[in-house]
Amino acid sequence: MKLIKKIISGNEAIAIGAYKGNATFASGYPGTPSSEILDFFKSFKGVTAQWAQNEKAGFEAALGASIAGARSFATMKHVGLNVAADPLMTSAYTGINGGFVVVCADDPGMHSSQNEQDNRYYARFAKIPLIEPSDSFEAVGFMQYAFIVSEQFDLPVLFRNTTRISHSLAVVKYDSRTLDNEKELKLDKNFQKYVMIPGNAVRKHKELLKKFEDLKQFSNETPINRIEKGSSNVGIIANGISYAYAKEIMPKAHFFKVGFSYPMPTEKIREFAKNLDKVIVIEELEPYMEEELKIAGLNIYGKKYFPQDGEFNLDIVEEGLQKAGFIEDKKSSVVFDSIELPGRPPALCPGCPHRPIFDILHSHKNIFITGDIGCYTLGSLPPLSAMHTTVCMGASLSMGVGASKIENKEKIVSVIGDSTFFHTGIQPLIDAYVNKANMTIIILDNRITAMTGGQPDASSGFNLNNETFEPINVAKLAKAVGIERVFEVDQYDYKSTKEILDREIETPGLSVIVALRPCVLAPKKIKDTPLVVTDKCIGCKRCLRIACPSIDFKNNLAVIDETTCTGCEVCKNVCPVEGAIVVKEGK
Amino acid sequence: MNIESVLFVGVGGDGIITVSNVVSEACMLAGLDVKKSEIHGMSQRGGSVSASVRFGEKVYSPTDKLGSVQYMMATEKIEALRWIQYLNKNSVVVVNDRIVPIINQIIDEDNIDLLVNKIDTKILIKRKFIDDAVKLGNEKVTNTIMLGVLSKYIPVENKFFMEAIDIIVPDKIKQINIEAFNLGMELAKEL
Repeated sequence: MKLIKKIISGNEAIAIGAYKGNATFASGYPGTPSSEILDFFKSFKGVTAQWAQNEKAGFEAALGASIAGARSFATMKHVGLNVAADPLMTSAYTGINGGFVVVCADDPGMHSSQNEQDNRYYARFAKIPLIEPSDSFEAVGFMQYAFIVSEQFDLPVLFRNTTRISHSLAVVKYDSRTLDNEKELKLDKNFQKYVMIPGNAVRKHKELLKKFEDLKQFSNETPINRIEKGSSNVGIIANGISYAYAKEIMPKAHFFKVGFSYPMPTEKIREFAKNLDKVIVIEELEPYMEEELKIAGLNIYGKKYFPQDGEFNLDIVEEGLQKAGFIEDKKSSVVFDSIELPGRPPALCPGCPHRPIFDILHSHKNIFITGDIGCYTLGSLPPLSAMHTTVCMGASLSMGVGASKIENKEKIVSVIGDSTFFHTGIQPLIDAYVNKANMTIIILDNRITAMTGGQPDASSGFNLNNETFEPINVAKLAKAVGIERVFEVDQYDYKSTKEILDREIETPGLSVIVALRPCVLAPKKIKDTPLVVTDKCIGCKRCLRIACPSIDFKNNLAVIDETTCTGCEVCKNVCPVEGAIVVKEGK
Repeated sequence: MNIESVLFVGVGGDGIITVSNVVSEACMLAGLDVKKSEIHGMSQRGGSVSASVRFGEKVYSPTDKLGSVQYMMATEKIEALRWIQYLNKNSVVVVNDRIVPIINQIIDEDNIDLLVNKIDTKILIKRKFIDDAVKLGNEKVTNTIMLGVLSKYIPVENKFFMEAIDIIVPDKIKQINIEAFNLGMELAKEL
């Protein structure tokens, strides 16, 4: 069997591990940092990978596949599991048929998230096994192991990684063999196991509590909770990426490397700690392991020395180890002073069709704009400054429905993207109609899930496997709900877009505007003839207010970078001087 | 062998991920342990981007410690300055002489250039590498030229870089990337 040696990301490793673990079905919803897993997984032979409209639907599809006789898994980012928490809690009661793994990526440091919740608590909440890899190498092995654990205990397994593991690369060696299933899997019709009416659920809850006792013992015995003997007399208990940082700083310490963290291997840790002078626990985010150890009567500290927020790195872990007296206070390794520089926040791309919408909304003073999650959240930043709330997926519409019922001089405008609309926006659209909300809903239908890298959605017209279908027509959908004032606009036609937006904002009652211009990046990059600034420019800076990365201001005049300008003409449309911005000739 | 590290910094869209993949592949081909970190997500919308390749006999952490980076490749000058605390006196810095504007900011370009010139590391190479790339016929190989320059200092044999380019770069632009890497190595002799 040929051994493959590759340097791969944690996400690719999870996909390889799932394939080697004989998983044949996967579903999920894109979310940084988990988005690439399904893309990698779909490339294997004999598997089905598909995007669901949201994490709950993806979770349930994978659970259904498990009961139908396949090993399966679901992927999502940490906040996605909030959406899928409903099936999570009850699937712990039903249990599974084929091995079923919930892959969930946390985002400490919030590289691309609205919070940094610690999803390890979900394992405790649902009473299901929790497995955490430290790098790509472990992800390949642990993922296979997760399916075995799932079938052994008849439970879903939570496989939790973090951004730093999903998006870091490590050298991995593996062969293309797949694990054999231990039993022959076939569709499982079992009323008592899968129909959670109270009569069955009462019994299943008792079963779950009993399984938990077995899991406690298992956690103390599994090889992925391992002791690495050192030569000093101090011990470190660490999981995930924290292990990597601590191991690099203190290679000679004794390590208790936690890979199976719910239930915690408290008895094995008791043994580990017994003969050591000092033991601490290092974990990102919440004191989850520390609490579990304290409950078991172990007086081991962690958060006394390490932060409870943000992402760790070598410097933070070293500082904590110093505070704990594990290493001597050393002189800082910093040689050069930091330099005060302007930040470089992300921005809407040149040619982005969201830009004209926010430029138009910016000009309205008496509106309250509830926003949502996607590239267009960047419309909240100056100078566009045209979004007043962003909480979670779909909340733009539902918060707008509520806000519209409170008397204010502001008209409510809700802005949501297509993928987010299909995720959890349709229900509040119906709410807006049924409850007669006075609001203007703008659906930015750019036909793709852009923020997470361009995954297809229901209005793309093709799916993850490139099979085509008739895209969902959002305007027709809104009309089918019963909403009368439904309009479509093309944002590159700035003038008529503005007319319709202005008119609908002024018109009392419910209206829906579907903005139809596709994403400038995906599925294909759009580049048209660039624009140039002529000597008629008066330096008024109006074009700077649209926050286009292609426009700069030099010597009191606007300048357009031809290499990045896509020719969308939004700047030309907002420019107050005729002929100051023109399409470049001769191209 | 201690852990060494190449830090790549620039702006979303600069091709940081690809060039750092070439280096991590080369290190693996040379038989070293390698870890690489990169951050996706918001960074692809024109924000600051960084990637770090750490290599040695055994590497645990995918990210760097302040003051510990031996090699930095910066595709833009402001970004080079942003990461200065990761450098030390022995670092080698190769920086593209270029400033990418920041929305809503007026940048004092002369001051930025002055600050870059003052980076007090063992080796600082600042050059308009994009001009070299245009001469070669494709401005998109700027990073590969810079990597060719930096490769002089990285303790990995050139043949592994060549092999890595062969594996990572798509066929259509492979030849010009090999030429770009060679040009970089030639430039390194003069600089």
